[in-house]
Amino acid sequence: MSDEHKKSPAKPSEAPLHGLLAEYDTPPQLVQAAKKIRDAGFTKWDTYSPFAVHGIDDAMGIKMTVLPWFVLCAGLTGLATAITLQWWTNAVDYPWIISGKPMWSIPANVPIMFELTVLLSAITTLVGMLLLNNLPLPSHPLDQVRRFARVTDDKFFLMIQASDPKFDDVETRELLEATHPVAIEAVNEDHTTDDKLPSGLVYALIIVAVASIVPFALAAKARYTKSSSTRIHIIQDMDSQPKYKAQRENPFFADNRATRPAIDGTVAVGDARDDDHFYKGKVGNDWARTFPTEIALDEATMDRGRQRFGIYCTPCHGQVGQGDGMVAKRADQLAQGTWVPPSNITQENLRQMPVGELFNSITNGVRNMPAYGPQIKTEDRWAIIMYVRALQRSRSGSLNDLPPDARASLK
Amino acid sequence: MAKGKKGSTGGDGASGDNVRLAEVGQSLFVKAVAVGVIALGISLFLGSTENDGWTRWSHSYLVAFVWVMTIGAGALWWITIQNIVNSHWSTVIRRVGELIATNAPVLALLSLPVVLPLILGKPIMYRWADSSLMTGDLAHKLGYLNTKFFSIRFVFYFGYWTWLSYYFLNKSLGQDKESKEAAAKTVVTMRRLAGPAMIVFALTITFCAIDLIMTLEPQWFSTMFGVYYFASCVLAINSSLALSLMWLQSKGRLSSSVTVHHFHDLGKMVFAFTIFWAYVGFSQFMLQWYANIPEETLWWKERFANGWGTLSWVLLFGHFVIPFFGLLSRWVKRSRKALAFWCIWQLVMIYLDMYWLVMPTLGTSDVPFKLVDLACWVGVLALFIAGIAYRAKNLDLLAKNDPRLPDSLALENL
Repeated sequence: MSDEHKKSPAKPSEAPLHGLLAEYDTPPQLVQAAKKIRDAGFTKWDTYSPFAVHGIDDAMGIKMTVLPWFVLCAGLTGLATAITLQWWTNAVDYPWIISGKPMWSIPANVPIMFELTVLLSAITTLVGMLLLNNLPLPSHPLDQVRRFARVTDDKFFLMIQASDPKFDDVETRELLEATHPVAIEAVNEDHTTDDKLPSGLVYALIIVAVASIVPFALAAKARYTKSSSTRIHIIQDMDSQPKYKAQRENPFFADNRATRPAIDGTVAVGDARDDDHFYKGKVGNDWARTFPTEIALDEATMDRGRQRFGIYCTPCHGQVGQGDGMVAKRADQLAQGTWVPPSNITQENLRQMPVGELFNSITNGVRNMPAYGPQIKTEDRWAIIMYVRALQRSRSGSLNDLPPDARASLK
Repeated sequence: MAKGKKGSTGGDGASGDNVRLAEVGQSLFVKAVAVGVIALGISLFLGSTENDGWTRWSHSYLVAFVWVMTIGAGALWWITIQNIVNSHWSTVIRRVGELIATNAPVLALLSLPVVLPLILGKPIMYRWADSSLMTGDLAHKLGYLNTKFFSIRFVFYFGYWTWLSYYFLNKSLGQDKESKEAAAKTVVTMRRLAGPAMIVFALTITFCAIDLIMTLEPQWFSTMFGVYYFASCVLAINSSLALSLMWLQSKGRLSSSVTVHHFHDLGKMVFAFTIFWAYVGFSQFMLQWYANIPEETLWWKERFANGWGTLSWVLLFGHFVIPFFGLLSRWVKRSRKALAFWCIWQLVMIYLDMYWLVMPTLGTSDVPFKLVDLACWVGVLALFIAGIAYRAKNLDLLAKNDPRLPDSLALENL
């Protein structure tokens, strides 16, 4: 606190003159008065009213605000920030394909572009408006004037500051009187109120600003130092559960294995797969060349096979098995060198291959094709093979294979 | 939107204004009918040379019709919203909006070439009308997409629009002769109806857009389609109002009543709904693009291929980016010539948008713009204007007894 404030409040009359205040009853009177003051060439003066008075800008000779230009720049900055941020994170720093779209997919970026444009524009409008108006203003000499309190209610005011180069005690008062105000009052400088922000508020803001650095500092520390303690696990979800997982240790058993092997001489329900033809595609030691008796060689099985083929095989092998599925095409495009292209299932060696061997390939996988045994039911794997055989046959088909009416439509 | 100064003594400007079209309206009516009949005649001749069972002509006509409907339906929305919010600023131009909105019966007549073939069971454009083509999943839509229900809906749309627009116009005309107290009560009566009426209107415009445009490709659907069309309606009516008022003033009507401040406000609306159109259009696109479901994306695929792709880019930049920056400045909205330029620009863009919605169903890979399109467009617009001129010529263009008029006359806009 400065020395001034320790003194008893100075009487208003002792303080130097701040300006002359004129009071009006209606907005048109204020506008008329403002025009006169404007024409008299004053620069340090202002008008006050409970609401926006249309036409007052013109009457006061106020130039158009520059705020829209700030807002335009801020909006464009937001737009550019959003584009750059998403481009850098999605396509450069951490490239990742999301739902099959390109790495940098502009339509997906538009919502962020829109939001950031609006956000920066809105913040700039608010902050710019406050700054251009010299707000917030902790104290003002007019706060001491009793009659000025009605400015938030039903009165209109105009004040010319004494610091205006054209200000003259007598002449200015005469000029104001010529605008027919309700009253004129001299306003003195106010040394009784601190015109700085309350110190408590300032300290609070400093503390908040400093505290806001802490999370970033902690993150930076965690990133560049090593620690033997486990990470802070704030949200547990179901990460730690009191149970044993397969292939883990369990000291309860003599062999310390959590996974229990089957007891000798027993078979689990559904595990009695003693039909080698059906389950392994084998007859004796050779690959089976016929379909097992469990599979009905009819239209329904063929339909099932076509459907399962569409679900499980087309991504790599393509719609008609030419090895041109979407995954294969994408892999070719990436050209990373580690990719083994999927077979064209209608090629000669696969056409000659026994069905049992095809069944084995589907069940256990081959080269980089994974095992589909765990995913596709045994019957369905056979059904797929049936459809594969049909696809293979279609490649060597001739016009005579078609029914007569379909033949006619092709002519 | 700025409000006029309360309690200020306006009204002087209106007293001297000429508010009757009279002989100007009559001559406009005659000219518009002549142009309309000739242009539609040319379009029919050009359509007949296609020898495709009127398919090409019907599509051209549909584009022209849904375009002019953005203005007509937009006007009804506009006067209803002015009533709902008790708008003071717009009072001097509301009557012009009412006169455009009461063109609903003319719209109904103009819709006949689109609707009649359907109702008579000879669908040209809408393949859902042939139920034998609606198989598989499409069969589920037959409960809605059948000619009987379609006819009922259509009668309701245009019946409702006619009733509502005439209700507002007649109330407003009656107000012109009422005492001060009665006039103030009329304002409240209109406002009470406007709220519920708006809800029904929103449903009619939504389903009308769905029926006329979306069902051209019955497998495709978008729940935002109604809003998308509505965005064009608001854009169209605000542009049309600005242009109509400029024309009226060039003929010495409403000269001092309508000021730069009203044009400024209309310009703001054109600007705002330029953004709204892009917002809705992009939302509709992005949801379907991201989900990537075949029955939805097919519609977009047609419109992003070949010449249609070029038109899509023209719409993105011509309908949004360029006019966005064009209309951004305050100066543009207050300059008569600049505002007129952008209003016409946006009306043309709305036409291209309607073209982009309707025409790809023809299955051509390139934009098939032909003289028949232009002839239909001019013809339908001319007949639409003729309808307005015929009704407007002997009516006041200003709601002179509305208690909000002084505020509207004294409107000041920053």
